[in-house]
This record gives sequence, C-alpha cells and structure tokens, in this order.
Amino acid sequence: MSREISQEEKAVDQYTANVLQSGISRRRFLSCTALGAAGIGIMGLTGLTEKNAEAAQVDQGGEFAKSSDGGATLNFMPKPEPIADKDIASTKTFDVIVVGAGASGVPAALSAAENGATVAVIQKHPMPVSQGNTGSGIDLATSDKAGIEALVALLMNDNNHRCNPALLRQWAYNSGEAVKWVIDRARKGGSPVVDQGSKPQFAIRQVNGYTLNYVTSYFGPKPYTTGDGMRALAKTAEAAGVQFYFNMPASQLVQSQSGEVIGVIAKGRDGKYTKFMAKKGVILATGDYQNNTAMCDYFIPDLKHFGRKQMDRTGDGFAMAYWAGGVIEPIGHTKMLHDFDAGPASMCDMPFLAVNREGKRFVNETVAMSLFNNYLRDAKNAGHYSQIFDANYMTQAADWPGKLVSPEGLKNYMPDDPSPKNGVYESQTNTHVADTLGELATKLECDPATFIASVKRYNELCATGKDDDFGKPANRLVPVEKAPFYGIHRRVRISTICSGMLVNENHQALNADGAPIKGLYVIGNLGGGFYGGVDYPLTVFGLSLGRCYTFGYMAGKHVANL
Amino acid sequence: MKNTTLHTFVFAIACIIFLDGIFASGAYAASTPEKQVITLDEFHANADVGCADCHGNKNQRAAVSMVKCLECHDTKELAEKTANVKPTNPHNNRHYSTEADCNLCHHQHKKSENFCLPCHARFDLIVP
Repeated sequence: MSREISQEEKAVDQYTANVLQSGISRRRFLSCTALGAAGIGIMGLTGLTEKNAEAAQVDQGGEFAKSSDGGATLNFMPKPEPIADKDIASTKTFDVIVVGAGASGVPAALSAAENGATVAVIQKHPMPVSQGNTGSGIDLATSDKAGIEALVALLMNDNNHRCNPALLRQWAYNSGEAVKWVIDRARKGGSPVVDQGSKPQFAIRQVNGYTLNYVTSYFGPKPYTTGDGMRALAKTAEAAGVQFYFNMPASQLVQSQSGEVIGVIAKGRDGKYTKFMAKKGVILATGDYQNNTAMCDYFIPDLKHFGRKQMDRTGDGFAMAYWAGGVIEPIGHTKMLHDFDAGPASMCDMPFLAVNREGKRFVNETVAMSLFNNYLRDAKNAGHYSQIFDANYMTQAADWPGKLVSPEGLKNYMPDDPSPKNGVYESQTNTHVADTLGELATKLECDPATFIASVKRYNELCATGKDDDFGKPANRLVPVEKAPFYGIHRRVRISTICSGMLVNENHQALNADGAPIKGLYVIGNLGGGFYGGVDYPLTVFGLSLGRCYTFGYMAGKHVANL
Repeated sequence: MKNTTLHTFVFAIACIIFLDGIFASGAYAASTPEKQVITLDEFHANADVGCADCHGNKNQRAAVSMVKCLECHDTKELAEKTANVKPTNPHNNRHYSTEADCNLCHHQHKKSENFCLPCHARFDLIVP
C-alpha cells in the first residue's frame, strides 16, 4: 500500500474508514493473493499486475468474492463469465443507464431526463415495482435548523451511530424538495398521490423543543401502493423521453481498461443480450437481496427463518458493483421487518399483551413492532406473535401511542367476518374475536393451555400493578378479562434489507482505496451508509421511501450534469 | 408442425418411461390414490405438441424459457379468461401484472404448484 493511499484513508470520515476496513471488497482479495505471491518470492509486489493476481486466483479454482479478512471464499458471489461481443445482439447508447425501476430508479431516470440527459431504464420485472405507501421529507421553509440537526441526531441514535451522518444530512436538507417533486410528477402520470404534510409524523413535530414540518407523500390506501405510484411516475418519465426496457435483467457491467464503468449488458426474455453503453454513468438501483439465501446467511444470518415479502431480490446489483471494485458494508446488515396488514397499522406499537406463536408472553410490549423480530428469530416462531386485548380496549388504551380502531373497524381485518374489506390486503388480514380465551387461542393458532396460562399470569401482574416478569410500566398493564376477546396474529416478514454498497455524497461507488469508481452510482436500498442499526427505525414514517426518492432525484441530476 | 407423428411417438415413449418412474416412486399414488394425474407434458402431447416443439432438436434437456410458451399462449387473453377466478386472478397479479413466468406454477414434467401459497395462505388456487 502506498503512502499516498494511507493518507487518503486517514482523511475520510469514521463511517467510510470503517467500511473500508471491514467491508467486503476486491482489494482485500487482490492484496492477499499479491502478498502471498511476494512472500514466496516469485516476483516483487510491483511486478505482479492485477491481471496476474486474478489469474493466480482462477487457478486456485474460480473467482469468488472474499470475506473481509481474505480468509473465506464467498462462493455465492462468483465472478460471471464475461459476455463475449459475439453474443451481443444489439448495442444502444444513452447518457445515463439506470438499472432497476423502483422507488429510487424511476425518480433517478426522470430527474436525469429533466436535466437534459438521454436515459434508459433496464428492469428485470415486466413493470416498475415498489412497495409501501409513505415517503417522507422535511419541509425546510417551516422547520428550525436546530430541529433538523436534532432529527439527524435522533436518526444517528436509531442507527446505533453506525451510519454516515453526511448522507442523513443530505436526506434531511433535500428531501422536502425531492418528495414534493415526486408528488407533482406522479400526479402528472395519473397517480392520486397526496401530501399528508406533518400529520402522520405526530411524534417528531417537536424534537428537543425545536419545530419541524414534513412533506409526506402517500400512495394509497392499499391495495394501491408506491408500486402503482412508480408506474405512474414512469409514465411521466416516458413522456420526458426515458426509454424503459422491461423483462431485461442486467447481467454485468461493462468496464474500460482503466476500470471506468461505461455500460451494462442485459439479457432479454429471448435469451439475447443487449449492451447499453452509458456516456455519463450507470446508476444501480436494484434493491436488496432478501431472496438470495446465501447472501442473507452470510451478511445477516438473523433472517434465516423469516418470511420474505418481496420476490426476485437476488442482490444482482451487489454482485455487479462488487466485481466492478465496490465495497459491500461489513456483515451485520440492517433489516426491516413489519406486519402492517394483519390488523390496523396504527395499533402495531400499542403495548397490549403479546404472546409468541405458542402462546407465551415473551417481551416487554413497549418494545416497538419493528424490533419484535429479534425475539422471534427461531424456526418455530418465525416472526409470528399475537397482540391480545379485551372488550374494554377502547377505553383502557385510549391514551396509548397510536390510534385505536373500533370493534366495528376491526372487522375490516377479520378474515372470518363476511364484511367487505377496504384499504387492506385481504389475503394478509389476520385479526380475530372470540367469546372465550380458548376459542381465541385456536383462531390465533396458539396452544390453548399455554395461551390461557399466559393470560392468567398477565392478569395477576395487572392486579398487583407491577410487571414482575418484564418490567412494563404500570399504566400499560391492563387485564384481559372481559369477553369478547380480541387477537391480532401478526407475522413480521422481511420488507427489505437496507445495507449496501459504500458510496460518497454524490452516490458514487467507492473502491477499496476509498476512491470513486468512475461511471458507477448506487442508490436506493442498494446504497449503504444511511442506516447501520439492528433494525430500520420507525421514527420518521416513510424514511425509507423518502430516502429512495431523494437520492434518486439527486443522483439523476448529478449524473446528467456531468 | 413437421414430423408430428414421429415427435408424438418419441414423446409418448418418453412419457411412459417418465411416468413409470413417478408412479414407481409413489409420489403421485400417495396424494391421489384413485384419480390419474396428467402432467402437462402428457396434456401437450395429446394436443400434438411434442418434445422438440418446446426443446428443439439440439438439446432436449435444456430448460425452456417462457418465450416458448408465448408462441401459443397469449398472456393478456389468459388474464381475461381467469379474471373472475376467486380469490384472485393468478394471471394478473401485483408482482408481475400479466407477465408472471408460466414456469413458476405450471410444470411440464412434474406436478404443477401453487406459487402464491407460501405467502398468501388463503389463495387456494388449483393449478393445472
């Protein structure tokens, strides 16, 4: 390693330095091979070109990614065979190529087009795909600067202080503009999207005594989601000249001799390859890797037994960016597991009695739903739990955080109730009511004896006013004793994994030396540095989509103006 | 379709060998003891669609992409045909619109599967 590089590394921020030290990248793999060769004295370090080092590795049995210490071979990330020119059926050239048409890819494409670039979007699916309803930003004009910084500090805390503060600030100071822009452009494409303003962000309108206001885009209610919203936004993008290529998964990046990313090769449904050349840059927006079991087992083994909410998230962008020299954040990635569909979303964080799949109480219920997964990681529970309350819930929980839904309203979430369902995914509803605890246990698929014993014990604790088992505050201890009894059987599944590739503030991928890789940009959940905690925080409702829109909007503009 | 007779003949022999294997293994006998299950390869063969019509003549072990299905089946028409299937139209869904890969559910040489089920427990669709 040269002195120059060492100095460069010293200059980077803590977050970047840590990812360079512990992340998964090509340089470690190369330097290990190089050091090995130098050690046995075949040739000096300077004599061993990168190409030779790679060739040595191939001789050892194929090219795979390496773990951060260079010791383990990650055979789930094999380097693809380069696609030969003779196999390319056609070549197309644009200023900007976006890979992935989701909540960051579609905004990036439109933003680039509005800034004068010719743009193509390559999408694996037959249409743009996204999930969720809410995407948020901060309304700068009506927020205190100190409030914005207080919110950034709060998010740093949520992220266990392991993120890149510069990226949080970039969201904080640009998201209002970006989310407003998405709302306007999606409407032009026919979406009924609305700005809910600060209304859904009731807990963070004041932070540390400072005032904040928000721009909160809402694509909904379900079954209408941001997926429909991005399809509307794609119509606006098409009208602006963006060309979409569907059913075309990207296979590999095209790099120049110097390592600059200059294009993408994608495979059509007919098996033929198209080479998309990028004059200004390639923006990867391919999302997470929850459907790639081997990647999950390595980077975030906590997910082993949880259900997946999405399909085809196979981490294609990770492999492509890695092989182009990019750095994957160290293991222990951030996850997002929710269930907003089994019962009302507004009651998910209410600290009612909660029991696991068997029927046992397992946690101090003031823990947020977004963290419950940590208590339910085993094969048996696999994310399943139930919230239990009785006929008195409307009065007894009236002042609890969230919003209560009346018994009549709960019918909308009950699969056994014949009433027509509105604003929910009917196939995912899982709320039940019963006249006896035994009957309720059966409906919730718990063991009735265990369930009844848990309720009995809980009621005893409520009577004493002290939670000797889990320490929940007395004002959250209300007994379950009056029929009818209610239960919401939730199963948290993986919405997304939100750790990714190391990027700088231009969303440009960095290599293992901390230097930008020319022509390669990474946004959305494929982008790293924005989270870092054990779980995605629910402090700002819609932070995830808000970040996707904002970074798509900014990266598109940046690359178009190169 | 050229050489249909020959294809059908070859295919029929292949089917006999293949189905023999399946029945011998007891996989089908266990689930449906009375009713004979017809796999889609047999169904296609009965409609004069032979091995080579999908696999070509070069390498009949190679996987067949959805594009081949589309030579005979129109996804939009199919979606209309199943528009009223309850509880949901499998051929126009939130994940792939009308363009889900046929092969996710409809298998040719083994029993088809309901691909929705693991996530949507109440989508009890019967898959031919």
